[in-house]
Amino acid sequence: MQVMTDLFARIFGDGLSSLGLLVAGGLTMALIMALVMASCAIVFTWAERKVAGFIQSRYGPMRVGRWHGVLQPVADMVKILGKEDIVPRDADKPLFMLAPFVIFVGSLMAWAAIPFAPGFIAADLDLGLFYIFAVSSAATIGILMAGWASNNKWSLYGAARGAAQAVSYEIPLALACIPVVMITGSLNMNDIVIAQQGGIWRWHFLHDPFLFVAFLLYFVASIAEVNRGPFDLPETESELVAGYHTEYTGMRFAFFFLAEYANLFLVSCVATAVFLGGWQPLFGPVFLPGLVFVIKAVLLVLLQMWLRWTLPRLRVDQLMHVCWKVMVPLALVCVLGAGIWMLATGQAG
Amino acid sequence: METFLFYLCGGLMLGAAAMTVASRSAVAAAVWLVFSFVCAAGVFALLAAPFLAILQILIYAGAIMVLFLFVIMMLQGPVLPAEVAGRTVGRKALLALPAAAIAVILISWAARGREASFGATPVTGTAAAVAELLLNRYLLAFELISIVLLVAIVGAMSLGRNEEGQP
Repeated sequence: MQVMTDLFARIFGDGLSSLGLLVAGGLTMALIMALVMASCAIVFTWAERKVAGFIQSRYGPMRVGRWHGVLQPVADMVKILGKEDIVPRDADKPLFMLAPFVIFVGSLMAWAAIPFAPGFIAADLDLGLFYIFAVSSAATIGILMAGWASNNKWSLYGAARGAAQAVSYEIPLALACIPVVMITGSLNMNDIVIAQQGGIWRWHFLHDPFLFVAFLLYFVASIAEVNRGPFDLPETESELVAGYHTEYTGMRFAFFFLAEYANLFLVSCVATAVFLGGWQPLFGPVFLPGLVFVIKAVLLVLLQMWLRWTLPRLRVDQLMHVCWKVMVPLALVCVLGAGIWMLATGQAG
Repeated sequence: METFLFYLCGGLMLGAAAMTVASRSAVAAAVWLVFSFVCAAGVFALLAAPFLAILQILIYAGAIMVLFLFVIMMLQGPVLPAEVAGRTVGRKALLALPAAAIAVILISWAARGREASFGATPVTGTAAAVAELLLNRYLLAFELISIVLLVAIVGAMSLGRNEEGQP
């Protein structure tokens, strides 16, 4: 935001008032974030097919675009835009039409607090981390709206599973970040990244054993939070056709798809900023911060894809068991342990 | 600018609340209520209470309303047929009168001899300020509330169990 308002101030001089600068800067940042989201979806659909192909000893897309089907996502996009927009006759029309946008906006709002590079953050909030959890939890409403409004039992079951899973796994997800907040003493995403300055040994996941466990907990919970395998119960093809977006076509379906891949990248970005040092390089001085950040986040995304295509899907009861009886107690132990560690090593004020 | 945003959020909040009462489908009512909560969060943010604003979204919009929607959907939330809704319009108007009267009394009482002021409130609701109050000054009350909540959870669990003692 600051970068953009400065840029506009330089371009227009005194032609714009502070309010105009604020609005222009905000709009530009929102546009950039929306473009980042769209390009995520484009790059990651291709990457996912290639990873899946590699793991299953086949090629994946090979034809469109000269080299290894690189233009496949573009072809898919054209196809999806050309599809007929179908609204089922007995659907709850306003809710049916609104649902994809609620999910998309919830995801886009969370992007505002991701620190890609020093100063390059759309909204440098004091409560950044807290804000990200809040707006992404509000997107759950969109899942329920979609499932209900479709007037289809598979959609409804998918939505019920998706919402139950999202509400449950939010808790270990947030609890796993609390030790980091305790160490940093701030919820501001910039402060959290700056606290990890000075090479890999200063990154939060290597701070102490409890934080390492917290990082693993965050990673597992984040996979469940974005409804991906092995936690992809909301859209089990064998039982629910496609889950809560069964009835959606064309552009509206594309919004679900976009939000799914954007959320995948979002949770990886949060993990990068909170546990993996954000834009700080492995060693040495800060160098190409934005690129370092994106590389770390993309590596985490590839790890999630690897897990998705390797592990079998859980059952619903196993899913809830893992969350409430294993991950939540472990996360609480991590919070307590990190506190004791801080007291023992004299880091607590 | 702040005044404009305040009236925008407040107006949308009241409008959404009215739609919550007026909608015929329970799910639509719940979605309007979520919208009303989001606008309330906006008002909190304008009143220099960002922590409260985010809590409002996290707890009410993100958790409580999700549970509400869950219950409504599982029970196949009723949609009032149009003719029933038509019949109840008169009754609704009748019920709205005392509610409006109470609202007028409350607002006039609250506004009595006070300037409408916001944005420049001396107390700020940052996370640190809220934590200071909850974990220092009102620590005992805060912990007692958590015991009350624990009792409520245990009670709900024991009521929810069936005869064989299976959860």
